[in-house]
Amino acid sequence: MTTLLDPTSERTTGERPISARPADLADGTVGLLDISKPRGDVFISRLDELLTEMGVAVRHYRKPTFSKPAPLDLRCQIAAECGAVIEALAD
Amino acid sequence: MHDIVGLEDLGVPGVFVASDRFAQAADAQGEALGMHPIRVLTDHPIQQRTDEEMRALAEAAFPEILAALTAGQPS
Amino acid sequence: MSLPIADGLLVVVKDDCETCHLVVPVLAELAGREDGVAVVSQDRADFPEGFDAIHDRQLDISWHLGTETTPTVYRIDDGEAVDEQAGWYRAGWERVTGMTGLGAGLPEQRPGCGSDTMLPDNYQRLLRRHSPYPMSSRRVDLGTAEDPVEAAYARGWTDGLPVVPPTEERVARMLEGTDLPPGHVLCTLPPDLAECTVEKVAINAVMAGCRPEYLPVVLAAVEAAAGRGFNIHGVSATTYFSGPVLIVNGPVRRRIGMNSGVNVLGQGNRANLTIGRALNLVVRNVGGARPGGVDQATFGSPSKLSFCFPEDEEGSPWESLAVQRGFGPEESTVTLFAAHGPIEVVDQKSRTPESLARTLALQLRMVAHPKLAGMSEAVVVVSPEHARLFREAGWTKPRLGEEIHSLLTLPVSEMVAGAGGTAEGMPPWLADQRQELTKFSPEGLWFVHAGGGAGGFSAIISGWVGGRAGSEMTTVAIDH
Repeated sequence: MTTLLDPTSERTTGERPISARPADLADGTVGLLDISKPRGDVFISRLDELLTEMGVAVRHYRKPTFSKPAPLDLRCQIAAECGAVIEALAD
Repeated sequence: MHDIVGLEDLGVPGVFVASDRFAQAADAQGEALGMHPIRVLTDHPIQQRTDEEMRALAEAAFPEILAALTAGQPS
Repeated sequence: MSLPIADGLLVVVKDDCETCHLVVPVLAELAGREDGVAVVSQDRADFPEGFDAIHDRQLDISWHLGTETTPTVYRIDDGEAVDEQAGWYRAGWERVTGMTGLGAGLPEQRPGCGSDTMLPDNYQRLLRRHSPYPMSSRRVDLGTAEDPVEAAYARGWTDGLPVVPPTEERVARMLEGTDLPPGHVLCTLPPDLAECTVEKVAINAVMAGCRPEYLPVVLAAVEAAAGRGFNIHGVSATTYFSGPVLIVNGPVRRRIGMNSGVNVLGQGNRANLTIGRALNLVVRNVGGARPGGVDQATFGSPSKLSFCFPEDEEGSPWESLAVQRGFGPEESTVTLFAAHGPIEVVDQKSRTPESLARTLALQLRMVAHPKLAGMSEAVVVVSPEHARLFREAGWTKPRLGEEIHSLLTLPVSEMVAGAGGTAEGMPPWLADQRQELTKFSPEGLWFVHAGGGAGGFSAIISGWVGGRAGSEMTTVAIDH
């Protein structure tokens, strides 16, 4: 394991932070990323219905395979098209 | 996990939904990746559930998913 | 730690070294002395056979002795090595041992082998193990799958370029560049008003790519930046272009190999590039001034990344900037100027200092705006070709300054808002008070000498608002 010395004034945590959250989801599209495991599609389509009822725009994405990280292109596409993303469903 | 971390790195707030059996693995991966993205856990098992049960799981998890993606919620 | 013997002879050897095998008969001769000899073996307890060698498994003895070569024979007096000879060199061994006729049948000399303490992994481990200064910064344990360079980006520590990952070993080496302890608080850095220790500067200097011998320059630059006059908070927060420009004077320039010649303001010299970068990383990481946060610059400029150069004092017709600012020619200093640029000055035709001064004045009028005066300051980097003209005519720096101030004393009517068809300019009420305005304040125009030998050019480094309302040029001695 590599250990580095913190170069900052140490007013924030050493772990890198998750990105800032929007106040609500109304303004941006929510991406639904299906990791391609069995039954996940049913779970995701129900999330789609619930979000749509709230007036939130939804886009669907699907990983080629659940066993590997999503290709960089797919991640960049999601980042370009969505304001938030839900990945489901791992078991 | 890798996907959500990668998307967080690109500035997209994300949440990762998994069955509760996955919790420990997610923690370990968080250590490895140097980031702990927000995750929402559902009851295990998944794969033999009926459609009705799957929809119920989604409904049960939904409030937590919304909270994870919006501001003012504990991360 | 203490050595295995307080007085007498000690020889450091290793099995994996031909010269060490060569000197075994000599060790036997030394062992015959009344006080004997302590044999310390780096790699094997049973080498050399029959000597009951002390196995320096952790290399602590070799480290303590500073052994660079095996074999090395030491004379120990009162627990300290007082004389030594590395490799096999008969006369040297005889000097250290006080014996004659050593190693009959051996060649006069034979080079030794590298000590195991000098293997990179060992060196780093030992440096860390024996560092006299414990470091107190938070340890950030990376994930097992994290790349250290990527990890530094992900945590927001970089300026956009890759950084050298600041491991404890690297920081320990960096700290060897100063006699100040790591916990020494150098200053309080705005905007976060965070305490800035020598250790934090060293960490950022590692990331910037500095060598340990550059650290004293970086430390002085950080002190200068934190000074009230320089106003790093304002420099960071302004929408204006400026960042810290560092001008280095004195013997330190040569000692650390800075470039004051060809491409002086460009790429290619590690010291020039990394010292300026280290200061900016400290401002970012310790001070907390980050673009989009406190830093709201409209454009910014490369001086926010790195803009650092030494004056060519040896080739200059004039006293150095440091001397002008009250330091001695043998003192090393760093001068901080909140600035950006450079603006080019082309004059390949002037043959008199008067003509060249007019060129400089024309271009200097552009700083900020041709119709603004008394606001920005400027440093003119005069090239060797241009300097030669002033040297031949015997023009001193003050003489050149007077000429330019005189050429840039302009009619108020040309300078006020609205004149020349543009609304930008000095306040119109000035026209009621005076006839003329001088572009630069007496303390607002400086000349330094640097650059390659060919080219009829000079460079204007234009500054932010000078003086108390903005940033005061600040010079600090480099003495740690």
